[in-house]
Amino acid sequence: MSKGPAKTIADITKGFAKHQYICSEQISTAIYLANELEKPILIEGPPGVGKTELANTAALYYKKALLRLQCYEGLDETKALYEWRYGKQLLYTQILKEQMQEVLEGAKGLKDSLDRLMEFEDIFFSEQFLESRPLLQSLTSTEGNVLLIDEVDKADEEFEALLLEILSEFQVSIPELGVKKAVVKPLVILTSNNSREIGDALKRRCLHLYIPFPDARLEREIIKARVPEITKKLQVQLVDFVQGLRELDLKKLPAISETIDWAKTLILLNAEELNQDLAKSTLNVLLKHQQDIDIVQKEVPRLVMASDG
Amino acid sequence: MERVLTDFVKTLRNANIQVSPAETLDATEVLERVGYDNRELLKNTLALTLSKTPYEKEKFDDCFDDFFNERLSEPKENKDSEEDNFISDQKVDSELAESLLQSSNADIELSISKAGEEAEIREIKYFTQRAVFSRRILDIMGVAKLEEELNLIGQNNRDGVPSDLEQKLRNELTHLREKVSNFVQQQFLLHGDVSGEQLREQVFKSMNMGQIDRSYLHEVHSLVRRMAKKLANMHSRRKKNFRRGKLDIRKTIRDNWVNQGILFNLRWSYKKVDRPKILVICDVSGSVGAYARFMLMFLFSLTEVVSKIRAFVFSSHLGEVTDEFKGGNLENSIESALSKYGGGSTDYSHALSDFVSLCIDEIDKKTTIVILGDARNNFGPEKADLLKSVYERSKQVYWLNPEGKYRWNTGDSVMNTYSAYCTKVFECGTLAQLERVISTLLKTAI
Repeated sequence: MSKGPAKTIADITKGFAKHQYICSEQISTAIYLANELEKPILIEGPPGVGKTELANTAALYYKKALLRLQCYEGLDETKALYEWRYGKQLLYTQILKEQMQEVLEGAKGLKDSLDRLMEFEDIFFSEQFLESRPLLQSLTSTEGNVLLIDEVDKADEEFEALLLEILSEFQVSIPELGVKKAVVKPLVILTSNNSREIGDALKRRCLHLYIPFPDARLEREIIKARVPEITKKLQVQLVDFVQGLRELDLKKLPAISETIDWAKTLILLNAEELNQDLAKSTLNVLLKHQQDIDIVQKEVPRLVMASDG
Repeated sequence: MERVLTDFVKTLRNANIQVSPAETLDATEVLERVGYDNRELLKNTLALTLSKTPYEKEKFDDCFDDFFNERLSEPKENKDSEEDNFISDQKVDSELAESLLQSSNADIELSISKAGEEAEIREIKYFTQRAVFSRRILDIMGVAKLEEELNLIGQNNRDGVPSDLEQKLRNELTHLREKVSNFVQQQFLLHGDVSGEQLREQVFKSMNMGQIDRSYLHEVHSLVRRMAKKLANMHSRRKKNFRRGKLDIRKTIRDNWVNQGILFNLRWSYKKVDRPKILVICDVSGSVGAYARFMLMFLFSLTEVVSKIRAFVFSSHLGEVTDEFKGGNLENSIESALSKYGGGSTDYSHALSDFVSLCIDEIDKKTTIVILGDARNNFGPEKADLLKSVYERSKQVYWLNPEGKYRWNTGDSVMNTYSAYCTKVFECGTLAQLERVISTLLKTAI
């Protein structure tokens, strides 16, 4: 490391911006540390603030492949880690039966046959019959990669326990084959929507990054990067409007992804600036619940006025 | 510098942020790379390694600012002492006055911390002790003498205008007081139980629930939530496996390998068992209303383990409040339930018959009924046969009585009559007792 940490972090921020991901200092520091310490990052925050996108961008930035494991209830090791190719294994036993004659030819007595059987190479549980799933793929790949374990909170608690070995030692134990260590340690990013509390054991092994809704300045930058064709005026109005929305008591607050969608919608409608009618007719892009839309309809005049500054 | 980190970790732990030794090691490793020079960077990196929930992050920010403001602030310039040198050739008697006029900031801070050691500042535990310790430190430094001297100087000024020396000394004294109080505050953050939380929690747990003042509700609520979470964690692991009815190919082939691959023994996928049903009936009349509040708080914080829970409250008539509680804001819904149904005089017979007509059909052998009440019936009819019918249909009936055992069956209490049809009767006056009861409940209900 010739460069100082502050420099590297600034580089990360710039590099991510090139891929249209505007990150706060917290975020780039997290990426820097994850790389330096070879520790996974656990990202929490409301939906739509760019948790998954961060992993995508990190993969682009480091020019590594992205392996993604989407978690859901009932996800187990056969889908996350590895599985045996049972069909092939069955065929193998069939072949073996036919071969057995040759192997045992000329053997005298039971003991001799047994000895020969023992000498015979057994590949029933071997890598040839091993089907790797994302977690194992990530460990065995020789080029290094970014491993995204998306929405860990959706998986069962047992699955968390399965992750522990991988996250702290970058290795998995397969009972039949022994321990498999990572060739190149991957950059691991876990995301959670907080639908349930993640266990302490898992948290302890990770850096913990919380991405909140962005402040107005950061959100403007994000909009500028993502929707470059937007006019300056509209961009400011739009962000102020959304920031105002987040202060209301809504069922689901609009996140960055919604702001971006809304900005794109307004561009499509050739809007130069925000007015009440336009806001009212496009609210459904921002808000996903009818109750929320009803609440906000009444507030639109005030919010538009406010965003006019 | 490692000392600074461990001190900081201690501060965090005092503020109720859980920091494990492993995380402290992580932080040390991180610090080796980023160093202490860049404040923003330092804050970000420590936040990433030490605080692990949004709530902790918030607290972390405060702690960090408190802690490192003291540590990293540049020593203040000492120019003004040079300017004021002309005063110092005037005579002052007390030692403290002399050192205030002549020593640099650093020296004064040193003497404060020396006095602090003498005053055993390490022993500070509660925030109420701050004033005591400040006073003690100032005494050790000899403030009393200085004050006397100041009075003397003041008396000598006939025209009532304080002399330069007096003015200067008074300013320095105020400044010193400030410094000492800052010092004590900082030491308190390090050594004390910062928010008094542990102490308060202990008190809340062993205090009679009816006596907890309403102004503490919010804190008690968060305590209850934590207790509930602990229970939920403990019991969710014990959930039994149950047949799902789907073939587990992997296991089947694996186990039948010994049969030359002929699928002889089938293996099935398993899934967690359906969670139990719990029906809670709470007396919310004047005398027991406060207990009902905590009981409901507790149970509705348990939704992770018990998904099917229905709550009924009554004083004279009975009504269901489940939907209101599912809405989210627990505190509001408890208030509204209490004001809607509470207040009247207790009538168990009426409430029981309401309950039976409402949901007797729902009760089956998986259902646990929990009744919270003091069984004081105002000498009305008991209608214990209603409870009997409920008892016979259900898995178990628990009765929680907030009164002490010695008061049962005195006056209009008919606990004995009802307890005949209860699986178990508990005394349940404090949060600690409530926790134990609910733990038993979860063990048996699941």
